[in-house]
Amino acid sequence: MSNFRLEITKGEEIRYISHLDYASLMERAVRRAKLPVAYSEGFNPHMKIAFASALAVGVTSDAEYMDIELTKPVCQPEFFDKLRAVLPLGVRLLQAREFTGKVKALMAAVELADYEIQVPLTGDFSQAQTGIIAYNKVDEAIYTRNMLKKVKTIEVKQYMDEKILAAEGRDGNLCLQMQIKITPAGSIKPGEILEVLRDQFSVPIAVEAATINRRALHGAGKPLIDLV
Amino acid sequence: MIKLEPALLQAVSKPARYTGNELNAVNKDHKLMKCSWALALPDVYEVGMSNLGLKILYQVLNDRDDTVAERVYAPWIDMEEKMRSEGLELWSLESFTPVKTFDFVGFSLQYEMIYTNILNMLALAKIPQQSAARGDSDPFIVGGGPCVYNPEPVAEFFDLFIIGEGEEVIEELTDSFIEWKMAQCPGGRTAFLRRAAQIEGIYVPSLYEVTYDGAKVTGVTPIVPEAKTLVYKRVIKDMDAVTFAEKPVVPYIDIVHDRLMLELFRGCTRGCRFCQAGMTYRPVRERSPQRLRELAKTMESSTGYDEMSLTSLSSADYSCLGMLVDDLFADFKDAKISLSLPSLRIDSFSIDLAHKMQQVRKSGLTFAPEAGTQRLRDVINKGVTEEDLLTAAAAAFRQGWKAVKLYFMMGLPTETDEDIVGIARLAQRVVDLYSQIKGRRGVKVTVSVSCFVPKAHTPFQWFVQDSLAEFERKQQLLKDNIRDRSIQFKYHDARTSYLEGAISRGDRRLAKVIYQAWLDGAKFDGWSDQFKYEVWLEAFHKCSINPEDYSQRERSFTEHLPWEHVSPGVNKEFFLREYKKACQQELTEDCRRGRCSACGVCPNLEAAVVDGGKKYE
Repeated sequence: MSNFRLEITKGEEIRYISHLDYASLMERAVRRAKLPVAYSEGFNPHMKIAFASALAVGVTSDAEYMDIELTKPVCQPEFFDKLRAVLPLGVRLLQAREFTGKVKALMAAVELADYEIQVPLTGDFSQAQTGIIAYNKVDEAIYTRNMLKKVKTIEVKQYMDEKILAAEGRDGNLCLQMQIKITPAGSIKPGEILEVLRDQFSVPIAVEAATINRRALHGAGKPLIDLV
Repeated sequence: MIKLEPALLQAVSKPARYTGNELNAVNKDHKLMKCSWALALPDVYEVGMSNLGLKILYQVLNDRDDTVAERVYAPWIDMEEKMRSEGLELWSLESFTPVKTFDFVGFSLQYEMIYTNILNMLALAKIPQQSAARGDSDPFIVGGGPCVYNPEPVAEFFDLFIIGEGEEVIEELTDSFIEWKMAQCPGGRTAFLRRAAQIEGIYVPSLYEVTYDGAKVTGVTPIVPEAKTLVYKRVIKDMDAVTFAEKPVVPYIDIVHDRLMLELFRGCTRGCRFCQAGMTYRPVRERSPQRLRELAKTMESSTGYDEMSLTSLSSADYSCLGMLVDDLFADFKDAKISLSLPSLRIDSFSIDLAHKMQQVRKSGLTFAPEAGTQRLRDVINKGVTEEDLLTAAAAAFRQGWKAVKLYFMMGLPTETDEDIVGIARLAQRVVDLYSQIKGRRGVKVTVSVSCFVPKAHTPFQWFVQDSLAEFERKQQLLKDNIRDRSIQFKYHDARTSYLEGAISRGDRRLAKVIYQAWLDGAKFDGWSDQFKYEVWLEAFHKCSINPEDYSQRERSFTEHLPWEHVSPGVNKEFFLREYKKACQQELTEDCRRGRCSACGVCPNLEAAVVDGGKKYE
């Protein structure tokens, strides 16, 4: 048995596909690469691949992670070249590291996501900055998530690591950087933070036109690829 | 190039329907091409992407160095609203090029209730909807697919139709276009259409004159020498040699048929008298097992799909099916691929096969007895007995299946209440059979009943369709006769079948009704949640046309039928003989192995049955 941890991207070309779509895209790529991937037993066999944290429709990423289990060893250069050759537009294979033995699953290992957001300003940059400073200072902020049938209120500051950084971005955009904690109890989406900023801190932004990019996923203070 | 802003995409459902970039999508530089095609299916992405015909034509056209083909589907309601408010024109998925700048826009016509979507897509593309209003800078609008066997209701909207199988004729049309364009388009648009009309299988409706006598059509006659009096369909003679969709576009999002499609053969000559596909796709032409294995391997490696459907009109009739399935399983033994058959024949061979195919995954079983009594099954030439069904169901139950779906139709010619009650009785026998075999209850039998729509170029093309009230009465009657809770009864909205009945046997005058319905907001009529029956009725009323003149008027055998100038190669005399045999409950053999019934298709099209079983006998 042999395993690989991959660092891959979700690019502009596939910004609007869901996490599930992304997973099946990778599954098909692994099949095209003709790698000796392992499947679960039973009537409905599943390819043994696993991801760290779901990425929402509309969000790109510079660093997604996927673990894959093989039935027989493949040397790293061969694995890397075979998979890279068959990836569709929008997915780049950055790293592939072989590992054996027990390693914390990606889902359990991931603790922090780093985002960069470009969002059109609908008012002054200084007003946006004031709002963000205020948000960074408060101890609590409540987001109300409308689910299909019920409404859930979430205290969002518990998921914030460090302050949100704001800068004037390209073409009249506001550029934000934020670190969001991913915990066993849950997390918050960057788009939801934008709504809180707009609705409760008077940050003048067009949330619906925001483009969000995940820059990194960390566990134990390191990129997830460095945990194997 | 059309640019889609994040704010727009983030405001619509399933934005990945509109952003392309899929694996195997072909991107070519339009400036270097001599001809460009937009291949359209007038329904949403998930439906359009599932169509095999367009996948094949996409490959045929893009295999050429001088031609580019791109895809376009109907935007869903929310996207349409955005396009209208932002002034966005309909674009192609590969290069985001406005559809109106293509040389050809080809629509696949899968069923009548999607005609308003064609008008909607043309409007969104800013292309004039009537062919007569189009100018030299507009694309040629081409129709193809199963509905072209009566193209008349939409004739005014199309510049030309491709009748029959498109692989060869679409290349001939493209060649002809390039020749004309390279010669600086002599004579303009009309001259090209007259040139195209000379290609076998091309029907140019504007080159014909239609004469009427009240509700009847008395003739459809060519007005120029290039137009043929009778346009025969095109047929591929060698299925092994023809191009197939070996490298289909792989969607990112889940689509209706999200699997590989391996087409085993074309045509079905079982001769069910209600079935338009059975009449219009003749004769049976199989691919060889060797070729199919080759195709399967190429398709699997080019896509990475783990599911493959063995498609055809009646896949279980493929002469070497058992052997092929074994070979495919052997070929893919490391690749964990699951194989499926879209339909099963009612016999134990099919059950064994289905069992074998489900080594990997398990699903339900579907049979189509079509009618509830032997008498009526003989009328429609469905060569299946109650015993066949019970034997097949017994085999299925012994293999462990617990759910069976049974398809029927109501409103078939000569049908009486006894035949309707027969459906309930048959379903009950299947339920009882399960208890007998298993010694306990627990089976689920789904009875799905559609309303029969008589179609052009079938033995029932003269037949009077049941009225709306009669359909609804029969549905109620059947409901009242189903008493077992193991049986679930599903039926269709009879109002859809009522309209389909009028349109499918309509003439050119219906174009204004379809246009009026679209003007008044009809679109996605095949989607039950979008279907606006009142808008349609009102449209008929506004145009002073009675839909029942088309669907419920008794047509005499001597009456000229509006679709007679277009032919699948099967002679009218054959349909007439079959109609009469139907009334006598006489059966007709399958010519694939049995006696030739002289339908005319082979001599008319210089084609022949290609059947592996026959060859090896």
